[in-house]
Amino acid sequence: MKLLNCPMNGTRPLSEFLFGGEFREMPNPDTSSDLEWASYVHYRDNAPGVKKEWWYHSPSGTWFIAERNTLSDEVLATYLYGKAPDATKTTKPRAKKEQSE
Amino acid sequence: MTALIKTTPVAYAQHEQKPAMGVHNGMEVALSFEGAAVEKTHKQVLGVTDVSCFAKFGIKGPKAADWLAKQGLKTPDEINSWVEGAPGTLVLRLGGSEFLVEDQIKGNACNGLSTFNQDKTAGAYQVARADAAFILGGSQALNLLSELCVMDLRDSALASNAVVMTQVAGISATLLRESLAGEQVYRIWCDVSYGPYMWEMLLEIAQELGGGAVGLTARFQ
Amino acid sequence: MSMRLPKQVGEWISRDKQIRFTFEGKEYTGYEGDTITSALLASGVKVLGRSFKYHRPRGVLSLANHDINALVTDGQDTNIRADVVKLTKGMTLKAVNTDGGVINDKSKYIDSISPLLPVGFYYKAFHKPAALFPFWEKVIRKAAGLGVVNFNYPRINKRKLNDFCDVLIIGAGPSGLSAALSAAANDLEVILVDENQHLGGSLTYDRAGNADTQQMLDELVAKVSASPNIKVYAAAYAAGYYQDHMVPVVTADGITKVRAKAVIVSTGVFEQPPVFHNNDLPGVMLGSAAQRMIHRYGVKPFNKGIVVTANAHGYRVALDLINAGVKVAAVVDMRAQGQKDEQVAELVRKGVKIYTGFCVYEATPVKGKLGMSGAVVCPYDESTANADVAKAVTIECDGIAMSAGWAPAAALLYQSGIGMGYNNDIQQFVPNRFPKGIFAAGRVNGVYSLEARLTDGARAASEVASFLGKKVAAVSVESHQGTSPSHPYPFVHHPKGKNFVDFDEDIQIKDFINAAKEGFDNIELMKRFTTVGMGPSQGKHSNMNAIRILAKIRNLPVEKIGTTTARPFFHPTPMGHLGGRSFHSHRLTSIHGWHKAAGAFFVDVGAWSRPAYYQKSGLSKLETIQQEAQAVRQSVGIIDGGTLGKIEVCGPDAAAFLERFYTGVYADQKVGHSRYVLLLDELGVVVDDGIATRLADEMFFLTISTSNAAAVYREMQRWLQIWQLNVGLVNVTGAYGLINVAGPNASKVLSKLVSVDVSEAAFPMGSAQTTEIKGVPVRIVRAAFVAKQAYEIYMPTGHALSIWKALLEAGQSEGIRPFGTDTQRLLRLELGHHMPGYDTDGLTNPFEVRAEKALHMEKPFFIGKRSLEIIAKKPLTKVLVPFTLAVDYKGEMPQDCNLVIEAGGIKGRVTSISYSPAAKRIVGLAYVAPHQSELGNVFDIRTDNGGIAKATVVKTPFFNA
Repeated sequence: MKLLNCPMNGTRPLSEFLFGGEFREMPNPDTSSDLEWASYVHYRDNAPGVKKEWWYHSPSGTWFIAERNTLSDEVLATYLYGKAPDATKTTKPRAKKEQSE
Repeated sequence: MTALIKTTPVAYAQHEQKPAMGVHNGMEVALSFEGAAVEKTHKQVLGVTDVSCFAKFGIKGPKAADWLAKQGLKTPDEINSWVEGAPGTLVLRLGGSEFLVEDQIKGNACNGLSTFNQDKTAGAYQVARADAAFILGGSQALNLLSELCVMDLRDSALASNAVVMTQVAGISATLLRESLAGEQVYRIWCDVSYGPYMWEMLLEIAQELGGGAVGLTARFQ
Repeated sequence: MSMRLPKQVGEWISRDKQIRFTFEGKEYTGYEGDTITSALLASGVKVLGRSFKYHRPRGVLSLANHDINALVTDGQDTNIRADVVKLTKGMTLKAVNTDGGVINDKSKYIDSISPLLPVGFYYKAFHKPAALFPFWEKVIRKAAGLGVVNFNYPRINKRKLNDFCDVLIIGAGPSGLSAALSAAANDLEVILVDENQHLGGSLTYDRAGNADTQQMLDELVAKVSASPNIKVYAAAYAAGYYQDHMVPVVTADGITKVRAKAVIVSTGVFEQPPVFHNNDLPGVMLGSAAQRMIHRYGVKPFNKGIVVTANAHGYRVALDLINAGVKVAAVVDMRAQGQKDEQVAELVRKGVKIYTGFCVYEATPVKGKLGMSGAVVCPYDESTANADVAKAVTIECDGIAMSAGWAPAAALLYQSGIGMGYNNDIQQFVPNRFPKGIFAAGRVNGVYSLEARLTDGARAASEVASFLGKKVAAVSVESHQGTSPSHPYPFVHHPKGKNFVDFDEDIQIKDFINAAKEGFDNIELMKRFTTVGMGPSQGKHSNMNAIRILAKIRNLPVEKIGTTTARPFFHPTPMGHLGGRSFHSHRLTSIHGWHKAAGAFFVDVGAWSRPAYYQKSGLSKLETIQQEAQAVRQSVGIIDGGTLGKIEVCGPDAAAFLERFYTGVYADQKVGHSRYVLLLDELGVVVDDGIATRLADEMFFLTISTSNAAAVYREMQRWLQIWQLNVGLVNVTGAYGLINVAGPNASKVLSKLVSVDVSEAAFPMGSAQTTEIKGVPVRIVRAAFVAKQAYEIYMPTGHALSIWKALLEAGQSEGIRPFGTDTQRLLRLELGHHMPGYDTDGLTNPFEVRAEKALHMEKPFFIGKRSLEIIAKKPLTKVLVPFTLAVDYKGEMPQDCNLVIEAGGIKGRVTSISYSPAAKRIVGLAYVAPHQSELGNVFDIRTDNGGIAKATVVKTPFFNA
């Protein structure tokens, strides 16, 4: 069974986790066109490669982001939302971003 | 003020064992099962005790640790660890900012915490706790856990002050090890609604391995 | 005739402990430590079973867990592997694949008609005429398969455990033992697994006529036993490799899932049979099998035999045979250049005739093919694989030991994702690309000499230590010296065939040639057409030869042919092992015991077990439900709603959070009041609904439907993390019980227990109170889901049972009655409430269920709002409407999911339908086309049997509430 590293609880077997889908940046709902919005909610890029994904550690109730290469099934990094280890990858919290746009 | 006595969530699963019930801390729990001599042996091999009656207090939020400290309790510095917050009282830090306080057989800290007032405590929220709680001890305890839990729980891997939120018998549970009257035991908490199921699984395996149910009396005599 | 030898150094049997058993109705004696096969061989039994297809008599082949023709049953278990399963007292055994016993098998005639039964014959022969196929199918099914399934198999609990280590070493031969000791010396925690009863691998049998290596083995095993860092699983096989170094280790008692930080595969090699006519007769066996018989079990393989070889190992086998008192009539070396080493010289000194550049052309059977009487030996042309029959020599013998080469036991390496290349120096596939944390050592890694194997184990261990971050010196291993351990093409053509490649499935050389002719000339296709490697041994003695044959047919290097995919399990693993203990986790409310005693019929709702209704003797399910519903309509009923999801949303941003999460507005909600909440997903699809009660300025109490509770709470947590609001979420689903008291007498009953005024005037719909019942603090919310007058009472779960009983007692004079979820669904339908997930599906938007009032589109944001703005621009395609059938409707009862039909086309479907005792007619909810949704409109529902029920759109509630 695969192992996954929860940023709060450490390395655990996959059976303790739930997959929460691909992480996608929400376009600004006030300024995006219908087409942009529809593509956000409906379209998924299924090409293999490194994806950001939501994962949930069930016993502790921890959501986090995993960067996973879907071709090799290798997890490159896991971190809490908004706390990417590499500053350039940091995703700003939604609320703040909405205000700035 | 509470006139009604609670019943342990595990009671439904204990019917067949016909335990002698008694009230501890306002909750009816199994005091003894097969008598002191048998339960003493079970305790040494693999004994399972329902301690859902231990008083519990839960709190979470960024100011939860501060509030507990103000009430005179020690809180763990590391995430997912525990300390004896007051004599006979465990304080578990669940993740970063949630705490579970549990009075042991002789602890008495939770009573004082019930003064918590949400309106006057910004950044801390009370968490109503009604977990089913168990003590698992004896020479075969780790053998049992190696069937129910995928994690490495040997002493070399499980720090003595560690709290692990993991799955036991397929359901979410919180687990730690502690020393009880010189004996190393494991503590397991799970959602109250899973209490009967957890008891059934723990007991089924305990009995296979030569152990069995241990009442509150035998556990703490 | 006893074939038992005098005591052998290092033997595995205890000669002071005799074991009696029966085989095929005859009694025998063996020793403790014997396998079934070794005990039979020691007793002079040569024929152990019949082959799968042709029912040819077969004896021992490998004695290494791939003797598929020696499968036996003890009446309880079937397909017991006699070659490796330990003999136990009183075993009553018979061979599985016979019709009337292993000697007089009535199916033995099949061998004589074998030319009529080429590979794949049943695909071709029986499909015409089609009418006869069912007959042939029965015949084929009877012939196919091994053993008989025991339908009275007892439930034996096989535990599944977890274990952990730094390095898992699979295979405890010289390289595995050496690796374990080196790893342990580097302070690594080691688990060492070996499928044999004792450690040592080839050190336990490959002696070349002297027992010097026994001392080395004893020392290695003693060191392993003494090391606190090494845990040994003997008589246990590593069944497969799973991600991140998890390997299930199977023992007789169960499975231990070992999680390692690194894995060393030192599984060795399987000896491969050279292929010649009648190479399957009892008495013909692999050289290593003969060695195992002698050294492990003290059994003489045959009295006078020959060794056919194509490597140095055959000469070692010959020496072992001579040492055991077997007369070795000849060593037949298939290689033109032969062998030149100390062992050959010794054999020559002992007067053994050596035929270099010769092959065994055929083995001569005795009557009934129950054994062999001689071997025909001919000069052999390695380039054509043909024997020069003109120069044949016949040698009288009762056994042949075969040593022509090896195949790596690399299944676990393949499963881990390793890359393999073909090494021409040793004519073997060897690893050339390793995934992280996977290592190989010993013969599976292409290292053959004993000294080199010991070094290779140390080398692998040092690489593991270095991989795990320790500073250790590198160890290097010399590349292979001397002749190749495997022959590139150990086949001898014969006009009569019966030169077997796969002993499981009786596959001969010509079957491969025919398969290739028919176009199945890719290894995976050839495997499936010929079924090579698909028998119980999974190709352990046949896949490599199959690859060699295909390479020759296609005139390609072996490497270009490749190998078939290796999948778990390494050996067949019993279903009982896989099943393990039963875990059926379920959630119960604290009132569960009471429900059970009251005759509740339980249904699973998510993880919960809930009463659907309370059974009453003499009443049908339907009647019971209707009675329970009538109690609520006429007086009062109670239901245990403890399973409902309950969340406290606390903090300064609590209202703001709810306004983003749900479609409604909550900022202006007054403390002590409750509001409806509707949850959409980002697509604007209806997910869930419930009630939000404001208990304080900064605290809301939310209910979520039972089956959605976990998922909705998870979404709350996720969005809170994204929005970063100052809110605390507390899931109190389990901590609080909920009892719903409903019906016209509900307030009357409740007022007997509480001090607050619960009358209609003082406690209207949409309000909430905090009070006490019998001293227990409770929250009471007025809700109208199942009845106009209904109170949801929330209390600490430990008190739920007491309060339940108190309510029943208080309601006794009103005829209070408990009701279950089936009744609840009817009650809410009568009121016209739709249920998300029941009356909606994964595509339903709120406009379709007429929930516009719950949508506050003026809010800046809520989940799904942007999608609704798009959806709102498009015309509606369906609408959920309440309908009734005529009061005197007598047709077939329509069911949930029956279709709404108009002009032959589908317009919608029924989502809920039931007879309503309150409305005294059939009522329901259905999706219809918008133009059908007008009040009073009549539409058609097509019933299961094709009838049409006329339904009329009405207003709700369906009755005069």
